[in-house]
Amino acid sequence: MNNVYVLGGSQTDFQRNWSKEGKNEIALLKEAITDGLDDVGISFEDISQLNSKNKVAFYVGNFIAEEYIQQGHIGALITEVDSSFYGVPTARYEAACASGSVALDAAITKVKTGDYDVAIVVGWELMKTVNSKVGGDILGRAAYYEKEGKGIDFPFPKLFGKLADEIIEKYQLDEQRFMDSLSIISNKNYNNAKRNPLAQTRNWFMDLEQAKMRGTETNPSVGGRLAVSDCSQVTDGAAVVVLASEKYMKENYEKEFPIVKGYGHRVAPMLFEKKMKDNNNSPYILPWTRQAVEDAYNRSGLSVDDIDFFETHDCFTSSEYAAISAFGITDPGKEYEAIEKGITDFNGEKPINPSGGLIGSGHPVGASGVRMFLDLYKQLTNNAGSYQLEKSDNGMMLNIGGSATTNYAFILGKE
Amino acid sequence: MIKTVTVLGANGTMGSNVSGIFASFGGVKVYLVSRTIEKSKKAMANIASSVKADSVKKNLIPADYSMLEDCIRESDLIFESVAEDLDTKIKINNEISSWVDEDTIICTGSSGLSIKVLAEVFPENIRKNYLGVHFFNPPYNLTLCEIIPSEYTEKKLLNNMKDYVGSKLHRTVVQVTDSPAFLGNRIGFQFINETLQYAEKYKHKGGIDYIDSILGPFTGRSMPPLVTSNFVGLDVHQAIVDNLYDNTNDYAKESFIMPNFAVYLVNKGILGKKTNGGLYKTIVSNDGTKKYLVYDISLNEYREVKNYNLSFTNKMVDSLRVGDYNSAFNTLINDSSLEAKLCLEFLLKYVVYSLITSKYVGDSIHAADDVMAAGFGWCPPLGMVQALFGIENFVTLAEERLPEAIWNEVEIEQLFSDISSSKYDYRRFFQAKH
Repeated sequence: MNNVYVLGGSQTDFQRNWSKEGKNEIALLKEAITDGLDDVGISFEDISQLNSKNKVAFYVGNFIAEEYIQQGHIGALITEVDSSFYGVPTARYEAACASGSVALDAAITKVKTGDYDVAIVVGWELMKTVNSKVGGDILGRAAYYEKEGKGIDFPFPKLFGKLADEIIEKYQLDEQRFMDSLSIISNKNYNNAKRNPLAQTRNWFMDLEQAKMRGTETNPSVGGRLAVSDCSQVTDGAAVVVLASEKYMKENYEKEFPIVKGYGHRVAPMLFEKKMKDNNNSPYILPWTRQAVEDAYNRSGLSVDDIDFFETHDCFTSSEYAAISAFGITDPGKEYEAIEKGITDFNGEKPINPSGGLIGSGHPVGASGVRMFLDLYKQLTNNAGSYQLEKSDNGMMLNIGGSATTNYAFILGKE
Repeated sequence: MIKTVTVLGANGTMGSNVSGIFASFGGVKVYLVSRTIEKSKKAMANIASSVKADSVKKNLIPADYSMLEDCIRESDLIFESVAEDLDTKIKINNEISSWVDEDTIICTGSSGLSIKVLAEVFPENIRKNYLGVHFFNPPYNLTLCEIIPSEYTEKKLLNNMKDYVGSKLHRTVVQVTDSPAFLGNRIGFQFINETLQYAEKYKHKGGIDYIDSILGPFTGRSMPPLVTSNFVGLDVHQAIVDNLYDNTNDYAKESFIMPNFAVYLVNKGILGKKTNGGLYKTIVSNDGTKKYLVYDISLNEYREVKNYNLSFTNKMVDSLRVGDYNSAFNTLINDSSLEAKLCLEFLLKYVVYSLITSKYVGDSIHAADDVMAAGFGWCPPLGMVQALFGIENFVTLAEERLPEAIWNEVEIEQLFSDISSSKYDYRRFFQAKH
């Protein structure tokens, strides 16, 4: 199998509200795709040429445009971006908030097999078309809607609130200490986002004390023990990455690019309750999440010791908490130790979410997986600007859909 | 190291919002000084909600003027945010002067008075610590902060302050010279007041809403210029442009004259949103439906806002909706209607005036970009150049379309000689909205 190179890409500013700007999904896609292609120096003419030899394809990650903008057939929409996309193979890939990762996986596979030389991946979601209550209900479709979503206000904060309860229960944790750890995660991700010029919350204020003041007017409780400061916020946005075969990379560029070193893809029981029953015999709270990470380690021949930084799916603080042991940074049940010691801080030994993650950067669901992948690329190539880490030879991302139902991990690194 | 701040006039809109910025991002103790302690206490809730954080309340200490001496003696920085009136500010500076020591930084939030004149209230050993720190409202959303040294301000203190406001308070810092209305309001209100003059000039075509329909959000701003004037109030608008008319002397001087109809409205107390009636007026009927009215200059009465249904604006909005920026600006350039010509002329003038003014008032050509993007939410001038197909095209257009009077004063080639591209992405500023 061939190596898959990551040439680059771009993301839109996740602070933008495209409905407020009066712009639709075509405007979003045009900007993201034009910027992404500009970044890697591929023109629309190049696309036409590649397409005449059937060597380019397009992969679109999107969760649920049908509900947010009443639009289906999402893959084909890219033909509206530019006529050079006429005839280019394209389709939409969906796995709730892990939609971006399924699209990436499909693209990586097709470059690996040698079918295509260039694969363009775009993940996107427009979510500011509806109010937060309606939006919460739409997102409920990422769970088993009839049993976990229908008629429930904001089902997902509640599910991840339950995850917090289960973590305390399983590991018999001191409740205060655990909740303080979640506050540290939130505050860290807000702080990291301050360095990221495309982050949704870069101008927002958060401090540790505010993150601890759950149940107040400015930090209301939204799901059991979780408050607004524990939640990522939905937004509008798109992220693009361009993948290429070794042949294409060598023919067209002189610099070095990171490669995809490994992946893991595991799907846990859909219902949260069954997930929790399923973990009885595992030391991990989310055994299939851990398995996806282990698969990526195995496929790449790397271990946690080789990974310099992580981008994880902190849709809620409790999901980043669980990811710490899933990555192998600590033993399960000991995650708070890494948090308290600052190991996952920007300047820590194993930084998690230097970009700000979902909590800091914003969570346009279909885009998030691709945004994480792009952030790995930026760190690995020294293109992360003001949030560049010092050591970045290998990076791992974990993107989850639903209540950690679909689990996707990727490892990118220098060749 | 700033640990304690005293804000004077802390219950005012700006005073409380600025207190919020110091208490949150700055993480410092803030003495809120108002006329009564009750007013300061009342401001606390507003401050917490302005930065969306109850955690800042621990940093806020309500006070009144009887406690001023103790507050000032304990503070590393004094922020004066009392009424925008020279005499009031001089009086308060005299009070500050009696208690302040030689190490304390003293800032005024003035939006355009002479910092030099205000500094001279202090003895010489204190003047060096005095400077203007002009936030835009609401500062939690608009990150611009103009920093204005006077000729007495100590260089080191100025640099420390710029650093503090930028990196600690997370503001977009622009150093500007001590000149009328500083930079943002000078550029912004040059544009807005000229649209007001054009509203009078074209009153037979509809006036206020006619001009606004030509320069709406599709031209790179979140609201049309005269809606903005209505929002800030004609009295504030008048104070700014009168100051500029009296104290500037370039080719744009005449554009700061407030048209008669607007002076008439101010004199009658018809100011804008704050008096529910100004250039625009909203009427809510019993069933909750809203009616948007506009002041018709010719009729001297309110009428419903019209939909002018202009072909060029419709086309531009359609193009912007699908992200086709080139096609939107081609429409603007090639449309032969009077309205399209007026629109383009305004945008060209905006860029030229911004570039000229930032040379004198700002510290770099990017200063105008920062103030307009971060203070007004308008497409910054260098972004506008990019939207209009780059420098070369822009210069050709400007030479073709702008009145010769401008070129008597400005060498256009020179104006564009040392320009670099904008650090702002122009696309987000052009809304697909009328």
